[in-house]
Amino acid sequence: MIDQRVVMVFESADDLMSATRAVRESGWKIEEAYTPYAVHGLDEAMGRAPSRLPYITFLCGLVGTLLALWLQHWTSSVSWPLNVGGKPFNSLPAFVPVIFEIMVLFAGLGSVATLLIRSRLYPGKKVQLPSVDITNHRFALVLAPQDASFSHDEASQLCRRHNAVALHFLGDIENKK
Amino acid sequence: MESHSSHSSVAGTGPRVVHWSVISRGTLLTLVSVSGLVLILGAAFSPDRVLANLLLVAFYLISLGLFGIVFVAIQYASGAGWSVGFRRIPEAMSGVLWIGGLAILPVLASLRVLYEWSHSDVVAHDHLLQLKSGWLDPFMFIVRSVIYLFVWIGMAYFIIRRSRRQDVDGSSVHTERNVLLGALFLVVFGVTFSVASFDWLMSLEPHWFSTVFGVYNFSGMFTSGLATLILILLGLKRLGWLKREFTEEHLHDLGKLLFGFSCFWAYIWFCQYMLIWYANIPEETAYYELRTQGIWGALMFLCLFLNWVVPFLGLLPRAAKRSAFAMARVSCVVLVGHWLDLYLMIMPSIREGGALPGLIEIAGATLLFGLFVWGFGRLLGRANLVPARDPYLPESLQHHV
Repeated sequence: MIDQRVVMVFESADDLMSATRAVRESGWKIEEAYTPYAVHGLDEAMGRAPSRLPYITFLCGLVGTLLALWLQHWTSSVSWPLNVGGKPFNSLPAFVPVIFEIMVLFAGLGSVATLLIRSRLYPGKKVQLPSVDITNHRFALVLAPQDASFSHDEASQLCRRHNAVALHFLGDIENKK
Repeated sequence: MESHSSHSSVAGTGPRVVHWSVISRGTLLTLVSVSGLVLILGAAFSPDRVLANLLLVAFYLISLGLFGIVFVAIQYASGAGWSVGFRRIPEAMSGVLWIGGLAILPVLASLRVLYEWSHSDVVAHDHLLQLKSGWLDPFMFIVRSVIYLFVWIGMAYFIIRRSRRQDVDGSSVHTERNVLLGALFLVVFGVTFSVASFDWLMSLEPHWFSTVFGVYNFSGMFTSGLATLILILLGLKRLGWLKREFTEEHLHDLGKLLFGFSCFWAYIWFCQYMLIWYANIPEETAYYELRTQGIWGALMFLCLFLNWVVPFLGLLPRAAKRSAFAMARVSCVVLVGHWLDLYLMIMPSIREGGALPGLIEIAGATLLFGLFVWGFGRLLGRANLVPARDPYLPESLQHHV
């Protein structure tokens, strides 16, 4: 049993990908992968479940649609009815463009807000990186604290096999500034 | 690479015409001749209705044929690699262009049946039509129609010839030339297709006009073309072809295109409708006054439902765009929807009372299906199924969304 997080650092995206697959096959838990740019297919290699963000986006869009519909109905035919070109006060075709815009606005802002909150990226958040190199030229794979099937020897063997340039053991990234 | 060579050898020695699992050559011939016979018999009773159906069939076929070559031209002009593996399918779709051109000949030969502006006695008492007679002139109308078809078929021929020559010599010069030719074609197409839709469809109601009509028809043409392409690819895959060239990843991207263009169609539909509704000018509202009431009105709602609501909700989830089951069904709905869209553009001008599709319309639709499968299969069997020496082929095979 290891109570620490294991950090493996790589020089190339290919090494990171092959190491990620090997780690998953060994049954160890991956906590996170850090890369300087988006690496294609990494989320699949890590075995991540599909994001649930689209459901939130759909819900926000639905709320925006209904709110815009209600707003226009209330302002133009209940609170202050105005005769525009002899059209009925409650005219759906005239409402559609605004409904569309509010729907997009709510869906867009709602998705971004949900992403920031869920990832805990609030203002003033301290940077927590396993190594500053990953903002530039290196790739890091962080394993969660493991059960009895994990050993230090196996970890360093795996590192050698996939050309890792560094292997750290961290107590807890959250606490390490 | 083994897979490419096996494909080329199979395409070279195998059957020249792709036989669909459901349709043999005999059935196809029977289908086309029976529906043709029904239309000829129908012409004895209501020639205007039969000619209107022929116009629908011809415009649908020309749209699908044009989609094929427009799609190929867009891929070349934008330097896209993802679609190269299955490029022979849209190329072969343009093989129905000349059939559509033949199908429109009876309409051109009897302009007076469908087009009010071709009656000189009517024009003599109609100030508006007199003003438009510089463009809406029977002789010029036929000349223009022939020019459109010649330009489209000619440019499609040159683009496809380049693509096929590359199979022989593997030179990247063909790709470079087709980038230029494709870009040129897109410009020519944008102008000619707009004007052709003004001529063939919008002038059915010569007092009415809509400047967005060409864009509206482009959106319908591209959406129905995508649906056809998706159905053919899924069909070929089921028969065991294009295993590496057409994967879930390619299906996903085609699904995104179908979803996007269906929304684009709805957007343009609404643009046309709302501006006319808002401005409320009699010469513009006449078109929608007819089409939003009674049977036509019900069909108009059905058209919006089939062309937008179904693809929008049906293809919204990521998993649906990667599923052959969902994509095939939504594509079928879109194809029926586009038929209805054309029906609503053409029919109300000759049958004001409102009419549900009948036997003649069914015969027209089966003729459309038969002619498409025949024209498409004919061209598909003439080249390798995969452009095996295109420099972008490896990128296409590795495509990952």
